Amino acid sequence: MLGIGILKGMVVTAKNFFGSFVNKRLLPTIQYPEAGNSVTLFSRNIPFLVYDNDEDPLGTMRCVACKICEKECPPQCIYIVMEKDANGKPAKRPKVFDIDISVCMGCQICVEVCPFESIKMDSTFELSTPDRFEGLLLKREHLLKSNTYFHKIHPDEAQEVDDRLAAKQKKPAPTPSTPAA
Amino acid sequence: MTPINPDQLIVQLTQWALSFLDSYPLVAVLVAILLSTVPLIAVFPGCFAITTWLERKGLARIQNRIGPNRTGPLGILQPAADGIKMLLKEDIVPKTSDRLAHFLAPVVLMVPAFTILSVLPFNRNMIPAAVDTGVILFFALGSVSTLAVFMAGWSSRNKYSLLGGMRAIAQMVSYELPLVLSGVTVIMMTGSLDTTKIVAQQQLSEWIQSSNAGLQCLGQIIGWNVFTPWGFAGFLIFFVASLAEINRCPFDLPEADSEIVAGHLTEYSGFKYALFFMSEYVSAFAINGLSTTLFLGGWSGPNIRPPWSDDPNALLIPGFVWFFAKMFALMLVMIWIRGTLPRLRVDHLMGFAWKFLLPLAIMNIFVGGFYYYAPRWHGIPVVGWPIGFLVMYLSYECIGRLNRGPKTAQRVYHYAS
Amino acid sequence: MIITFSILSAIAVISALLAVRLRNLVHATLTLMAFFVALAGLFILLMAEFLAAVQILVYVGAVGILILFAIMLTQQVTGNVKEHIEAHGALWGLAGATAVLLTLLLPAILKTALPLQPVVETIDPSVRALGLNLMAPYTIALQVIALLLTAALLGAVVIAISPEKSEEEKKS
Repeated sequence: MLGIGILKGMVVTAKNFFGSFVNKRLLPTIQYPEAGNSVTLFSRNIPFLVYDNDEDPLGTMRCVACKICEKECPPQCIYIVMEKDANGKPAKRPKVFDIDISVCMGCQICVEVCPFESIKMDSTFELSTPDRFEGLLLKREHLLKSNTYFHKIHPDEAQEVDDRLAAKQKKPAPTPSTPAA
Repeated sequence: MTPINPDQLIVQLTQWALSFLDSYPLVAVLVAILLSTVPLIAVFPGCFAITTWLERKGLARIQNRIGPNRTGPLGILQPAADGIKMLLKEDIVPKTSDRLAHFLAPVVLMVPAFTILSVLPFNRNMIPAAVDTGVILFFALGSVSTLAVFMAGWSSRNKYSLLGGMRAIAQMVSYELPLVLSGVTVIMMTGSLDTTKIVAQQQLSEWIQSSNAGLQCLGQIIGWNVFTPWGFAGFLIFFVASLAEINRCPFDLPEADSEIVAGHLTEYSGFKYALFFMSEYVSAFAINGLSTTLFLGGWSGPNIRPPWSDDPNALLIPGFVWFFAKMFALMLVMIWIRGTLPRLRVDHLMGFAWKFLLPLAIMNIFVGGFYYYAPRWHGIPVVGWPIGFLVMYLSYECIGRLNRGPKTAQRVYHYAS
Repeated sequence: MIITFSILSAIAVISALLAVRLRNLVHATLTLMAFFVALAGLFILLMAEFLAAVQILVYVGAVGILILFAIMLTQQVTGNVKEHIEAHGALWGLAGATAVLLTLLLPAILKTALPLQPVVETIDPSVRALGLNLMAPYTIALQVIALLLTAALLGAVVIAISPEKSEEEKKS
């Protein structure tokens, strides 16, 4: 019959109208500052640095200041200076590790290229600051977060990373240096 | 003193108030005029405010959103906030515009929008202007709004405005035909242009005056014109044409914001824009009120006589409650349609009016005539109803099929599967 | 009654004058419509609502819009100010027009006793009588007019269609 398509359309909109009162799926709006946020297990925005031991963040950080991420970063927002000990010998950890998050585009390439599983994507998003230069330049201290935190935000990925590191350690290591310190 | 009749309470109060002024006839006339016009001017902007809220909430829910919810509980104060915003806005008039016409356009649009309300019977004895030619006066004054839209479009000295104005005129003039012709059927069957008589014709007075409450209820409903084949078809044609007449979705080409900014409203801001907006909604109410009057039995609805009253015409629920309920129901359907249907193309719009609605409306007049003269069995149209329905259905299908464009080949997608 | 009459007739006369004198065509049309509306008001004053309604419906709603459409198709809305029509003997023309008007109207005016109030309070069956008259004594006239208008409509359609056809013929 003629005009049946219009009636079908009307039924669809009516279903949406009444469904939005009973069905959560049909009313996906989240009134953000008052109720909840949109962070899911799949949220990725800016990178952070992982350390293993909660009591000694600086000592157990996985980063060895190899600067691969600094070179690979497409917008070049990472700045790394390697720490040197008293003899001037490289200490295999960064003295300076800055990420300018006003430049970072969240591409996750640093995470992909890191051979030591030390840089991972975070899911915090409330990053606004009154100071657009200093406030958006995250230092090493801001970026360091524990492995427990990593387990909390992305449990599956963190477990995978832990398993991989454990397997690497178990294997007869020809080189003495293990990245996880 | 006569027993209180809730249906006529306001009318009785008015008469009681006017009885004090018997010795001053001139003052009494003035007060009577004020008493019949001021409620219109007070009630309908209120209805407009409620409707804007309903529209925003309803559309939001249709689109799986929440809608305005920051101003008051459930955002109910949103119309007030909008009004304050509109009033405080700067009134910008383009430098090269025609100032007088630009200023007069919203006024010219608003005057007929409110004037046509005065021929609608809101209840028994509650009609601001009981004129003999109510329906034709309604259409006549309604056609003035075309002029206002043209004035707005032309005086803005803006190409989008002018395009919008031209579109509005073409659309309004075209859709006035099916609108009036579908109303003609009702006028023909009633034999009167008087809106009160049209409503009275849709009530079965023997049933209403009987003592059975169920019959009283039914007598107020069964006679509605929409329950006859010509009335049903006429109602649908009238409703669709009225959508176009008041420039509402899916016929809102004059304001098509994806093509011509806002049509004739482009150069309007502040209070003038608010006036345009309000007159549009008030004329929407007016035209819905007229379709309620013509097809949906006006102020009659499921209603019984109050138990304490002996007056055979007394009613428990005031008639205007039913009138406004039906008017708002039609308004909600309009909002629902706005949430569903996309905008038509210009040539489709014209074709729809001239090739589909107009022949159907003319067919409807013939069916109405047949229904009127068809033999009846104890007053029940046993011949007219089924045959009329069949003829209307067949002509609907036939005209629809004749209008189907040339068959286009099935589209083949080369790259998308 | 007299106050309303004077206001309405003043509006009618002034807007009619403006409609003739204004150089902007759209303004002239708009004032013409104001004149039509004022005239409809005068009809209502004479208790001829039907006539008033038809006046607005036909003249404002249809004729006026048609004029506006025609104006929109012309090149210049505001006429060329430099080109005035050099009319000599305007006074003679005015006098002649007045004379014709008077000779036509004067007998009618003299014959009629003008009452200040309408003679009848309500013209109750005006629309009904009009309809019955159209249907009984003037049926043939009505049908002829209807036929004429239909023919005009069809003619308009034919005129509107033909150029497209000729283009197609040229192509083929």
